[in-house]
Amino acid sequence: MTTITDETEEAAAEPSGPGPRPRRRRGLATLEHTRLPYALIAPAVTFMVLIHILPMIGGLVLSLKRLNTFTFARLFGAPWTGFDNYDTLLFDADNSVHRGFATALGNTVVYTLWTVTLTLGLGLVVALLLNRPVPGQRVLRTLMLTPWVVPSFVMATLWQFMWRSDVGIVNDILVDWTHVVDERPVWLNGPNSMWAIIVPSVWRGIPLAMLIFLAGLQAIPEELLEAAAIDGAGPWRQFRHVIFPLIRPLFAVQLLFGVIYASYQFAVPWIMMGSNPGPHADLLMTLVVRESFSNKLVGLGAAASTLMMIGMLVWVAAWYGAFRRDLEMAR
Amino acid sequence: MVPALFLAACGGDDDDDASGSGDEATTQEGGEVTIQIMPNGPDPVADFEELVAPFEDETGIDVTVEEAGWDVQFDQISNQATTGEGPDITQAGTTQVPFFANLGGFVDLTDLAGDMEGNYPEGVWTTTQLSGQDGVWAMPWFTEARAIYYRTDVLEAAGLDPETAFTDWDTFRETLQAIGEVPGWDGTEGWPFGQPGGLAFDLVHHVFPLIWSYGGQELNDDNTESTVDSDEAVEAVTFFGQLLADGLWDPATLELDGTQTENEFKNGSLAVWIGGPWTLASVPRTDDENWVDEARDNVGIAPLPSGPSGEAFTFVGGSNLMMFESSDHQDEAWQLLQYLSQDDVQLQYAEILGFFPSTTSAQEERATADENQAAFYEAIQQGRSYAPIAQWGAIENAYKTHFGTILDGAVGGDFSADSVRSELEAAATEANDLLAQGE
Repeated sequence: MTTITDETEEAAAEPSGPGPRPRRRRGLATLEHTRLPYALIAPAVTFMVLIHILPMIGGLVLSLKRLNTFTFARLFGAPWTGFDNYDTLLFDADNSVHRGFATALGNTVVYTLWTVTLTLGLGLVVALLLNRPVPGQRVLRTLMLTPWVVPSFVMATLWQFMWRSDVGIVNDILVDWTHVVDERPVWLNGPNSMWAIIVPSVWRGIPLAMLIFLAGLQAIPEELLEAAAIDGAGPWRQFRHVIFPLIRPLFAVQLLFGVIYASYQFAVPWIMMGSNPGPHADLLMTLVVRESFSNKLVGLGAAASTLMMIGMLVWVAAWYGAFRRDLEMAR
Repeated sequence: MVPALFLAACGGDDDDDASGSGDEATTQEGGEVTIQIMPNGPDPVADFEELVAPFEDETGIDVTVEEAGWDVQFDQISNQATTGEGPDITQAGTTQVPFFANLGGFVDLTDLAGDMEGNYPEGVWTTTQLSGQDGVWAMPWFTEARAIYYRTDVLEAAGLDPETAFTDWDTFRETLQAIGEVPGWDGTEGWPFGQPGGLAFDLVHHVFPLIWSYGGQELNDDNTESTVDSDEAVEAVTFFGQLLADGLWDPATLELDGTQTENEFKNGSLAVWIGGPWTLASVPRTDDENWVDEARDNVGIAPLPSGPSGEAFTFVGGSNLMMFESSDHQDEAWQLLQYLSQDDVQLQYAEILGFFPSTTSAQEERATADENQAAFYEAIQQGRSYAPIAQWGAIENAYKTHFGTILDGAVGGDFSADSVRSELEAAATEANDLLAQGE
């Protein structure tokens, strides 16, 4: 909007030639023209500062405070402790919160890799399948969206029942019906618990991924695929050289948000496994909430949150570097 | 805003010449007071309003009842104490009292209630204290303790005498083994024993009585160091986990929370289980459809067994009432606290909730109801609570997680005294980090 205004003004100023007076007039005129847009975005900016930036600064300040059971009531009045909280989290090998942080970080990386890979991969597969003319396509599409509209709490509670080793349907299928395994595995604690949080997350994520990919697939002109087919490209080469390059921007955006969303996952492990999901399924967010609010180690919790935020900023920068061209193409 | 009357009671030496006395307080009429309670029963607000109706009639004080869920009450009370915005009185879990007392924002009731200590069992009165500080920070309200629930019919089928089946932990184990030999009770239809693991908020309440009976402690005597990795604790927790490893304990209950496991006992899937008094209160309630008849009709109660130390213990907890310093109605609040501490009111509320009253005389009275209540009363006499320190809640969370991991390991196969010791050492380190907090 601003660019168009500038160009219009520039064109209008052109006949009178360059000079101080017209330039000044142009600046004033620009201000007049841009006043309305600035006024229109002012409320949004104000609220963003209030609900985003200020709490973020607050969190940063708290991460530099010795805020624990004995001082947390004083909040911002608690004693300064410099970077001690960061030092404890990152380097103090003797501290149990450091060990918990390292475990939760590792778990979060594993959880994010699996969740995002499976969600996007399966979402794409389902979209490709539903993009073909199949009977009952609309009904299928609607049914596929069901997991996405189930609230997290309900979804996690349902899966908690389904994972139960004695009466859960997962073990009924694996052991009683298909005999894939002999003994009923335990899912909600121990080494399998990571899968107990990955699978429901993927189950819930697939519909949105599918919907976005499907929209992209339907926008691909039929002639392109026909031309590729005439040139002898089979389905795989059509996908690799025509379809995927065209939906790459959609993939890129979903990857960005998928990684951020998965890294900040909280509800699924918390609802299914309680405040401490254990060493195999504890994620960074469950650790942050537990240390900050259950254990009142607010300073350490704020430092862990800040480190997570820095991690996400690094991810966004890396993502931008990798997919800049796609964004430009999409524009 | 605080009435002179209350300052006389609580304000210390400077207010010695202020007018009024506690006796006058009880005769004052009118006013209002707001109390915050937790969901203590099926219809908590209505039950409480019924309980205090005679108090309102007698004093003219209007009592407003607010309810806060257990899932939010801790943060809510913390916020109310720090901001000064909230009710006049709040219910708090007994193990939360030291945290709130340390937090500040609550009235020290020493001058008002200090001489009431003799009315309560020692274990109950301790829950009003904060270690290292003088002060009475709460009034005991109602009490719970853990005891063994067993199926009388299953014990009979196993040829066991309930009188001797749970005397010490070795006989407890032998009892479970004998039950496992009764047809159907080897895990095919029912299990000898079941108890929730790390998903239950109260796992620690079931493990510490065992550790105490082995001579272990949760912390050292001056509450400066964790002793959860002591030899006694390792032995006790190994014993507990071994019940799982040996197939006497239904491993599926580790995936359940406390209420779900309670329902496993009610639906006839467990022969022995450790629980609180509220389950006993639900036996005659026909609207509790979780019970199957053969379980409902055959409930037996026994105190927890003794350990190698020769002593038996149980966790004694429940809820206390705390008065906010910010309250503008401290006179009325104190009158209500006194009313709720009367034996007849204590008994009436305990009966509604299925808990135990907190005063000694009311507890004795309740014990006369039947032999199961008498067994619970006996269990309460072995009652012990945790160190009254501000960090206890966080330490309890840490212990719970590590106990849960140990029990999970007992099912997975990676279980030995060494694995228990290493996990308990990790628990002790975490607790020591929490104890090391300072201003």
